[in-house]
Amino acid sequence: MTDPFDDIRDVSAPPTLLPGVLIALDLADRYLSLDVPIGRVYVAFNRNGISAVTQTPDAAEFEWSFRAQFGRPAFPVTEAPDALLADLHAALAGKKARLEFDLRGLSPFERAVLMKALEIPRGQIRPYAWIAREIGRPKAVRAVGTALAHNPIPLLIPCHRVVRSDGLIGNYGLGGPANKRTLLAWEGVALDPVRGHDRWKAHSV
Amino acid sequence: MDETGLAPLLACDLDAHFEVLVVHFQDRLYRFALRLSSNTEDAEEITQDAFIKAYRALKTYPADRIKAMALRPWLYQIVLNVWKNRVRRKKLPRVEMDGEIVSPAEGPDRQAEATARGEEIMRALETLPGRLRAAVVLRHVEGLSYAEIASVLDQPVGTVKSNVHRGLGALREVRSLEVWT
Repeated sequence: MTDPFDDIRDVSAPPTLLPGVLIALDLADRYLSLDVPIGRVYVAFNRNGISAVTQTPDAAEFEWSFRAQFGRPAFPVTEAPDALLADLHAALAGKKARLEFDLRGLSPFERAVLMKALEIPRGQIRPYAWIAREIGRPKAVRAVGTALAHNPIPLLIPCHRVVRSDGLIGNYGLGGPANKRTLLAWEGVALDPVRGHDRWKAHSV
Repeated sequence: MDETGLAPLLACDLDAHFEVLVVHFQDRLYRFALRLSSNTEDAEEITQDAFIKAYRALKTYPADRIKAMALRPWLYQIVLNVWKNRVRRKKLPRVEMDGEIVSPAEGPDRQAEATARGEEIMRALETLPGRLRAAVVLRHVEGLSYAEIASVLDQPVGTVKSNVHRGLGALREVRSLEVWT
């Protein structure tokens, strides 16, 4: 016999329900896009602060990669909060900005490395060994490199200002060494043409 | 006890796991709200309100209490209460269903047929008084046990059984008899 209720059992919640609940409870990560010298990046944030900066071909890819990395969804903002936008632009211009960062998933060592990188002013660079020394782990240079490579908030936590002690520019998580060069040049660091594309020298202004 | 395994996670870190709870329960709670309100917009608002109330309540409960919770009947009860309050407050006008009640996986013919049957049973359910409708929907659409429904509706099991029985009886009078045996 047919179950007469079968025909009304197959109902799914509308896709707007989950974001509605999480945003109302301030539990959601939201994101906006930002155009910077290396192209468009996506910036995610939640009530704890900025949670991610990623460069992906489009928003859909960003949502996918965010979920893969953090295990939770990020929803696009309908309108970017003015205060946040102002702080983002100030931070990128090397001015004082009140940005907070959500580094909950990281180890104390990784957090220490990123917080130290945050102290490097725009237009300046430091070697990996400097961070290692500054945080009291002078032998952990390689681990510093790994922690910077996993920086979830590149650009705003300026791991691009950390380079190798031998003059090589080093790798960069946000799109590779080419982007690192672009960002440093944009910030006023002269990259030495004589010693090759991947080399740098400090530029005094 | 909670059959989803979610309660201990929520007890440990509510903020980190609340999304899992929403994902797990949203379809059935929305469906329940839709059966109560007969309107997709109201159903979404009711379900959203219910999740927000659930979160705020859980926020105040000690971990031991959350661990011991039967989440499913508790959440249905919140949806029911949100709906009751809205009806009381607004005396909601009855609005036409817009028919989003069939799986998109079904072919157009079957879907149209199922939609027609679905609408027919929706209309029949709408004729029932709220307490009978809730009892019938929880038992026959949501598949809750009589004990769970008793906890959702805060009624003795005997009353629930009798309301489900009376609700089905009333539906039989509205609809053709043969499928209601």
